[in-house]
Amino acid sequence: MANFNTHFNVAAGASAVVSATLLSMEVVSPQEAVVAFFLGTLGGLLPDVDSPRSTSIKVAFNILSLLMTILIIFVKSSTYSLVEMVVVASLVFVTIRYAFLEFFRKISKHRGMFHSIPVASLWGLVIAIVSQWFFDLNSLVSWVYGFMITLGYFVHLILDEIYSVDLGNRRMKKSSGTALKFGMFKNRQQQIQTIVIYLLIPLLFSIAPDTELVQTALFSKEAWLSFTDIILPYDGKWFFH
Amino acid sequence: MKKRLSILALSVLFVGCVPAPKPTIGLGTGIGSSTQNSDLEYGRPPRNYASAIRDYFSSRLKHPQGANFQISAPKRAYKRKGLAYGGDVEWKGWLVKADIAEQSRTGRYHSPKPHLVLFSGDQIVEDILGSSHKLITIVDK
Repeated sequence: MANFNTHFNVAAGASAVVSATLLSMEVVSPQEAVVAFFLGTLGGLLPDVDSPRSTSIKVAFNILSLLMTILIIFVKSSTYSLVEMVVVASLVFVTIRYAFLEFFRKISKHRGMFHSIPVASLWGLVIAIVSQWFFDLNSLVSWVYGFMITLGYFVHLILDEIYSVDLGNRRMKKSSGTALKFGMFKNRQQQIQTIVIYLLIPLLFSIAPDTELVQTALFSKEAWLSFTDIILPYDGKWFFH
Repeated sequence: MKKRLSILALSVLFVGCVPAPKPTIGLGTGIGSSTQNSDLEYGRPPRNYASAIRDYFSSRLKHPQGANFQISAPKRAYKRKGLAYGGDVEWKGWLVKADIAEQSRTGRYHSPKPHLVLFSGDQIVEDILGSSHKLITIVDK
């Protein structure tokens, strides 16, 4: 299994390449590319959130609690007094950072469903939905942000699988096959978890932003042409445009 | 006690995320007073909206030269704020759909990108990339 630094560095590297490519293809603006890079890197840390003592869980809950605190301040700033805001914001922060974290540590199991392909897709969907419904972003940017989280997540799962091969002894470690999987089916609880996640995907899709633009921008013949346009200098001049 | 505190904190957290009630919208029954109410709510339709859209995008597109516009008729619509900002109705007016085909930096034409252009009177207040948005409701079908 790769460690925190490896996951962080590889996810950041992959996110930098992809967000710079999207920027160059004029799919996102420079500011959006920065957020996309950040989300891709975060996606690379998310799968280890189910490991109770990992650095990832602390980082994730720090970010989540800060984000929710800022959110509550935004929402209530026009109606609450300063004292009310401080009380509510502190309550929200402490609840998420400590109560939620402890609860999550108790219910999660490392290398459970969190390390799976459907959960990687689910995260992307959730981010796309939150981007549009909560932050009023357009469909293309919402989906790009969702895509970046899923990309980072996949990078993590692939790295874990690569690290499960013992190249010296030329054998597969016990952890092989536990990261990049489609579900868990060994016992009834695992089967229910898998079914719930697969049912959530179409449900969330029904409230997700429109996919037309992201299909054209990333997964179409035109996207491929835009990509080939930016590989080499279009005017034949190198570095002096 | 710990459990009660957690429940209280959770309730406070989610109260902030509950969207505001939907607005009552006069759909215009054809009877004089309803139409008038509706006009008061949404204002009159924008005049010269096509040229307003071309002017607006001439300074916003990356490659405005040679851009092709396909502009549809205005429709009454309203838009909510994102739930993170309270979810209230922030705009009511006329929405115009515009498909804009722009050239890339190599001179190749992209396929047209849909935009939702929001008007208050004759003024453009916002444009949104895409043919739909979850926070926008088009009243006229």
